[in-house]
Amino acid sequence: MKAVSPVSVRPLRVLLAKLGMDTHTVGITVVAHALREAGMEVIFTGLKQTPEAVASAAIQEDVDVVGISSLSAGHTRSLPRLARLLREQGSGEKLLVAGGVIPQEDLPLLHEAGFARIFTMGTDTREIVAYLREWWAQRLAAEAHKQ
Amino acid sequence: MSRPVDRIAVVPQGPPARATDEAQRWDRETRTPFVAAHPERRQPFLTQALKWPIQPLYTPADLEAAGFDYRQDLGFPGEYPFTRGTQPNGHRSDLWTMSQVTGFGKGEDWAKRARYMLDQGLQGLILEHDLPTTNGYDSDHPLVEGEVGRAGMALDSLEDLERAFDLPFEKLRYLMSVCNAPQPVNLAMIIAALEKKGVDPRRFVLHIVNGILIEYTCVGRYIYPPVHGLRIATDCIEYLIRNHPNWAPISIISAQLQPAKANPVQEIAFSMAIAMAYLDATLARGLDIDTVAPYFHFVINVDMDFFEGICKLRAYRKVWAQLMKERYGASRPAALKIRMMTSPTTIALTLQQPLNNIGRLAIMATACALGGAGEAMTTPLHDEAHALPAEEAIRVGAALQHIVAHETGVADTIDPLAGSYYVETLTKRIESAAHAEIVKIMQMGGALAAIESGYFQRALGREQYERNKDVEEGRRKWVGVNHLVAPEQKRQIEIFRADNRMEEEQVARVRALRARRDNAAVAAALEAVRAAARSGANLVPPCLAAVKLYATHGELCDAMRDVFGVHTPDSQLTGV
Amino acid sequence: MTDVAAEVLAGKVAAGARAIRWLDDRDPRGRAVLREIFAATGRAHIVGVTGPPGAGKSTLVDLLVTEERRRGRRVGVLAVDPTSPYTGGAILGDRVRMGRHALDAGVFIRSMGTRGESGGLSRATYDACLVLDAMGYEVVIVETVGVGQEEIDIVALAHTTVIVAVPGLGDEVQAMKAGLMEAGEILVINKADREGYEQTRRHLELLLHLRGSNRPAGAWEPRLLAAVATRGEGGAELIAALDAHRAYLDASGEFARQAGRRSEQQFLALARAATLSALLEGAGAPLLQQVRARSIDPYSAAELLTAPLRAQARRS
Repeated sequence: MKAVSPVSVRPLRVLLAKLGMDTHTVGITVVAHALREAGMEVIFTGLKQTPEAVASAAIQEDVDVVGISSLSAGHTRSLPRLARLLREQGSGEKLLVAGGVIPQEDLPLLHEAGFARIFTMGTDTREIVAYLREWWAQRLAAEAHKQ
Repeated sequence: MSRPVDRIAVVPQGPPARATDEAQRWDRETRTPFVAAHPERRQPFLTQALKWPIQPLYTPADLEAAGFDYRQDLGFPGEYPFTRGTQPNGHRSDLWTMSQVTGFGKGEDWAKRARYMLDQGLQGLILEHDLPTTNGYDSDHPLVEGEVGRAGMALDSLEDLERAFDLPFEKLRYLMSVCNAPQPVNLAMIIAALEKKGVDPRRFVLHIVNGILIEYTCVGRYIYPPVHGLRIATDCIEYLIRNHPNWAPISIISAQLQPAKANPVQEIAFSMAIAMAYLDATLARGLDIDTVAPYFHFVINVDMDFFEGICKLRAYRKVWAQLMKERYGASRPAALKIRMMTSPTTIALTLQQPLNNIGRLAIMATACALGGAGEAMTTPLHDEAHALPAEEAIRVGAALQHIVAHETGVADTIDPLAGSYYVETLTKRIESAAHAEIVKIMQMGGALAAIESGYFQRALGREQYERNKDVEEGRRKWVGVNHLVAPEQKRQIEIFRADNRMEEEQVARVRALRARRDNAAVAAALEAVRAAARSGANLVPPCLAAVKLYATHGELCDAMRDVFGVHTPDSQLTGV
Repeated sequence: MTDVAAEVLAGKVAAGARAIRWLDDRDPRGRAVLREIFAATGRAHIVGVTGPPGAGKSTLVDLLVTEERRRGRRVGVLAVDPTSPYTGGAILGDRVRMGRHALDAGVFIRSMGTRGESGGLSRATYDACLVLDAMGYEVVIVETVGVGQEEIDIVALAHTTVIVAVPGLGDEVQAMKAGLMEAGEILVINKADREGYEQTRRHLELLLHLRGSNRPAGAWEPRLLAAVATRGEGGAELIAALDAHRAYLDASGEFARQAGRRSEQQFLALARAATLSALLEGAGAPLLQQVRARSIDPYSAAELLTAPLRAQARRS
């Protein structure tokens, strides 16, 4: 049987959420719109989320990317926990990214926990879109190669 | 009782201004040839937030086209419609009160900082609470781990406030408290703490922000469904008007709309609609407009667009006066004169090259003074964008206001920019656009309906997206961000690492408190709060009784959650 | 049987989610799964919930899910929102209102974009219903925006269509009246505590009365309910009405008939698409070029294209 590749355009599915008490939404709003403009499907699960709720949603929605916005200080605990939950539930392949107020010195910890990229505050949304597109292109190419 | 807002005259925009013959000649013979050889540096020139076209020149013809009439549009300071100022003598008799934001950590830390600020010549303090407190949780609630004492002060019980109020109250002219969703609890604690300290409440002014409707609109620190949020706010307004008439029971902090990227027309329209929601609810309690309106107090920011800021402040005064007179039939001058506090906005400040921010603050403070600074001006601190204030920054911020007030002369005559062709054209245009938007919002059912349907949130979401694009695509030049970017691009974000010890201590404190108080009495007091929530009785008295027994902040908020439920909004992602 | 299909039948969330993704993306693996799970479908009660924006549909769905869970039923929710026709992207935010079910293993919530379809649903919505059905969700709620005559896909898809109205929406209610009102089995006026409720109620009662004049005896009589979903009010009545309609469908045989009709429609749609694409490959492609160049008229071209098929049909 000859190898099949996906017939139609596969939009990237991205889950965006905010963990913790902080309710600043401007950053996540701007990113959500930019991703939509870039042809992606953005699933927003809301504010004041727990890592458990985000992991569950990420699996039900079969998203490719999970993006967390964090403007208060709890990220060193909650973000790694989210990454661990996803891995434990067999969804470790999803791309994990985060943005907001995250200091340089925390980046190694987050990278090690499984976050591929941290977009610090003020990152141009075009950079975020380009990064995700490139990652997606590589992922699709790898899949096509496998089949 | 109140008349529909659409009966207020809205001046039609009319055709674009036809320049007089002289102006046309100038443009044709002098300007156009010049521009041919020297192309304009922006194409087109637009105001920063409204993105309205900016003409090369404004002349008397523009005023004519706008239907400008001195008597009708401006009048005189201290007289309707107050465009030139609510005070008969501008800032020539009294300058604005100068203040800054404080608040972090445990009670004692706030007090220490507050005392320093008062020593530096500031006369007003703003008490911000941490996220657990503003969201209605105690410091030991599982959901708030890592957040205690970071965004502001942790206020779990009366005990914390007793410690914070170790202040020289004789130097303090006013105190503002920001704790919107749990307002009756917060208010009760302040009243009780002042009583314990033996402070005479008539010797200074307490402002409670009590601004839950803006929380639903764009800030996000809400607990209960909007209809209950409004009821709670009204309880506090009514309680204060009846019991502490010299205090301020409500502040419409339209400045909070700015980080959400509201443009000046939206700021005025949304904040006025929100004010009317509180007004209508308070009037329904049997108070009258001439009594209530004077209590309404606006906090308005200016952004870097110098003229948008100045014209917005002037338009604010006129719009409020017109609404009070035409819709509510207010007659007392105090009801018609808007009360405002102004401030340079923090959203104009950059992470990069923070010293530039001092310049920005100076320009914005000058714009406030030129537009009419109102009762008080607050300076944010020049490195507020990323860390809590260093004492140096406090000193500079305070000095800045004194420099504007005493060294520039801008406050030495009243409304000096009046009559400027540009300023008056822009002021009128902002004012009529704001009125049109207000009519639209009231037709949809008012601010509560606009919030519940997501209208405000969607409008703001669109602005946020568009403005961000303006910066990314270079249409807005922002020094340090996309213009004159210095090699060491992004400053290291110094996140405030309040040591975890602080959180641990606070958690231990509140637990110890719960152990040693009379828990039976507290339980009964909490039940009384629930009963008031159910019956519609004013919530402040039962909260007051409960806080004196050391019921905690979280317990009181939970008691109200039991009756009101919690709010999950329709459009949490602004702009969806 | 493939692993994914087996896991879907076992109710595994990740597998179901992946299968829906394949179907949404028109990945052939999705079809393969459907073939294998089809026999296990046809049991779920598909409930459509539609109405104009601002009606509070998601909050009402959230309430309904709570009620269904109280009865011990497993519930799937498909929340469909419009995809931008310009960019192909979408912001899907309905989950926000259903946060309380986030950690309930008996609830599966999936957000979908319309992806270019104009009827309010995506092409894969029906297929996604089948997946949830096969996974064992007894009730599958499909939530979509419906504002006019066009958004009536949901009626064909669902066993029971719930139309959500809101007092004081004015024009949008007018538009809805034309199409949807004729077909909804249950009408709910949400935000019933709003001003204008009485007026809206009278309006809808009149509409239903007019509809009813043609109704054959024994047919389902549409219910008109009120709710204030944010306060949790109206959920009990809604689920009672849904259960009553389900009972009616079972008793009248309609439940099975509808499932059969849906299957038929799906078959015809698939056959149509497959036939057309097969015909346009090879010999059909140059014909298409000629049509675009207007060197042949569409009518003759269509006849030419299908001549071999008709010839074949005559021979067999």
